[in-house]
Amino acid sequence: MIDITEHYTQQYHSLAENLPGNGVEWIKTYRNNRLSRFQEAGFPTTRDEDWRYTTVRPITNKKFTSIGDIQVDRYALISSKVAEHSVMDFDSYQLVFVDGVLMTDFSELTALGDGVQINSIADVLRQRPESIQTYFDIDHAEESNGFTELNRAFSKDGAVIELQAGVCLEKPLELLFLSFGDEALAQSRNLIVAHEGSKATIIERYVSAETGYSLTNNLSEVVLDKKSEIDYYLVQTQSRDAYQVSGIWVTQASDSRFSCRTITLGGILVRNEIKIRMLGEGAHCDMFGLYSLSGKQHVDNHTTVVHGAPNCTSNELYKGVLNQRSRGVFHGRIKVEQDAQKTDAKQSNNTLLLSRDAEIDTKPQLEIYADDVKCSHGATIGQMDEVSLFYLRSRGIDESDARSLLTFAFVNDVLREVGIDSLKESLESILSSQLISDRQTV
Amino acid sequence: MLLIKDLHASIDGKAILKGINLEVNPGEVHAIMGPNGSGKSTLASVLAGRANYEVTAGSVTYRDQDLLDMEPEIRAREGVFLAFQYPVEIPGVSNVYLLKAAINSVLKHRGEEELDAMTFLKLIKEKSALVEMKQEFLYRSVNEGFSGGEKKRNEILQMALLEPYLSILDETDSGLDIDALKIVAHGVNTLRSAERSMIVVTHYQRLLDYIVPDYVHVLAGGKIIRSGDKSLALELEAKGYGWIEGQADAA
Ligand SMILES: Nc1ncnc2c1ncn2[C@@H]1O[C@H](COP(=O)(O)OP(=O)(O)O)[C@@H](O)[C@H]1O
Ligand SMILES: [Mg+2]
Repeated sequence: MIDITEHYTQQYHSLAENLPGNGVEWIKTYRNNRLSRFQEAGFPTTRDEDWRYTTVRPITNKKFTSIGDIQVDRYALISSKVAEHSVMDFDSYQLVFVDGVLMTDFSELTALGDGVQINSIADVLRQRPESIQTYFDIDHAEESNGFTELNRAFSKDGAVIELQAGVCLEKPLELLFLSFGDEALAQSRNLIVAHEGSKATIIERYVSAETGYSLTNNLSEVVLDKKSEIDYYLVQTQSRDAYQVSGIWVTQASDSRFSCRTITLGGILVRNEIKIRMLGEGAHCDMFGLYSLSGKQHVDNHTTVVHGAPNCTSNELYKGVLNQRSRGVFHGRIKVEQDAQKTDAKQSNNTLLLSRDAEIDTKPQLEIYADDVKCSHGATIGQMDEVSLFYLRSRGIDESDARSLLTFAFVNDVLREVGIDSLKESLESILSSQLISDRQTV
Repeated sequence: MLLIKDLHASIDGKAILKGINLEVNPGEVHAIMGPNGSGKSTLASVLAGRANYEVTAGSVTYRDQDLLDMEPEIRAREGVFLAFQYPVEIPGVSNVYLLKAAINSVLKHRGEEELDAMTFLKLIKEKSALVEMKQEFLYRSVNEGFSGGEKKRNEILQMALLEPYLSILDETDSGLDIDALKIVAHGVNTLRSAERSMIVVTHYQRLLDYIVPDYVHVLAGGKIIRSGDKSLALELEAKGYGWIEGQADAA
């Protein structure tokens, strides 16, 4: 058997000389430490409590390869794929990534005005690494695993986005990740810093430009300063041969607001890890999730909210629709630290099971060390309501439409949180055609 | 319009309908009365095509077609309408969406043009006025948080919009105060015409003061044990179901 840890270690060593910023001592040390941790930890297994319901063996059974620069002769193709996969009538700034590599030639880095700096992480590490050092080398030991250590060891692709104090981005900023299915290891590491009082909507959207195996192992760190507001989207619509492990690590200062919608319709094995730490008083976060799965799709939503300061509120709602032999996992951890009095934390996970062979594992994990807190959680698992179905049909609506309608009704309270109409319509149309085709291929 | 012959139906292997015979001609209003648990809702559900009832014998002909052979949505499009005894709440589906989908499915089935937004809104305004339903109810989820009376009026609104040939009202009067009852009756009477028929299932005679039936049938133990004109309803009211069940047992 191949040692997969060794495979990626070798790739790292073959690139190490050229990794951006490696001439700088602290960056080099940082990378080496991350690599050692990756080698020690390896990839997670189901023996790890946090990975109990998700085996990554399909990922570790394959060898993905970190790709180098994208050659200019591919630009025409890339450009047509970007056009094909852009959401109609969606007015946004766009950053394009190809197999994890930020394509500066396709990205609007400067159009956003003076208050917003966007650079590739490679450029920042080469030119002014000290500007991101405080964010970059935070250890996050508690949160990390083999995937994130591997991502951080490379730290070669990705975007650094900085919103100056008080800046309000009037259009959403979309990070469009295209995978070309050539067994590429796409690993971008993004850093988003929102200074005091700034405001933005940021969308990570994952699509397959071509079919074929791919592994995306991304990590985005979002830092919210006082009174800043970020609306975040993580949208997965890749083809059924895409593997993805995504980390969104958020830290929030006082009175900041972070709102995240994680929508997973594509991919074959997807793990979304959202980890939010509210460290300043009066911060608020929302986490909405929607996953609609069929075939043998496996999606694991792993969320952590740490209430680390008093008077913070968090609200979490995940809804899953599971068809055929798909499998969903929801893990919701809420940690309320000792001095986080007056915490208000809500969590719920509701699942609509459309097939006997589908499966959901849902696990709330509440750790409460403060005494004056409101904390609620609930999970429901249900099937399509036959009486509602009959009611709709008795009004002339055909069975297939009635089933779609009830499914949409089920996910409605998450879908309506998608505040961008064109994006919402595009997701509705993907969801709707998936539901119809799933019913036709039982 | 409708011809039911020796209809037997069961649920979970338990026989509920044990030989129903009924003929409803165009323009007629038939009331079906009977004690709780006698099978009235079962009959209504079987006619509308609810799947969990098994028809074990008999036949139902509707406008020269085999009704039992049709999917529920086809029955609806062909003009059969059931006003539910317990209208279903569907959170996340707006009332107006359901109404529009319903009318358009009927129109499409008839080979007619679907309604554009303007025409639809005009029509729905008119029909809402008929059942004195406030516009805001259109934009709420179907029946969610509606009071008992509002749910029943919503059923009549759907009926008024779809203009069915055969309306089956299952205890539409239960739980209504007298004002709501009059509104519902007005909605129903407006639809009454020479080519439309109705089956009005009720527990109480009261409704029949407002929707005057041509025939009254008494359903007990899964069979129609007595049929008559509207005076039968008054007699039942005076003497109770025990009287007639006793007579049937003796026979
Ligand atoms: N799902 C079911 N399983 C078993 N028995 C049922 C079910 N639904 C209804 N019944 C029985 O069928 C009989 C007729 O019910 P129903 O048609 O609702 O009566 P009605 O409308 O006249 O009050 C009752 O005895 C009721 O208990
Ligand atoms: Mg009943």
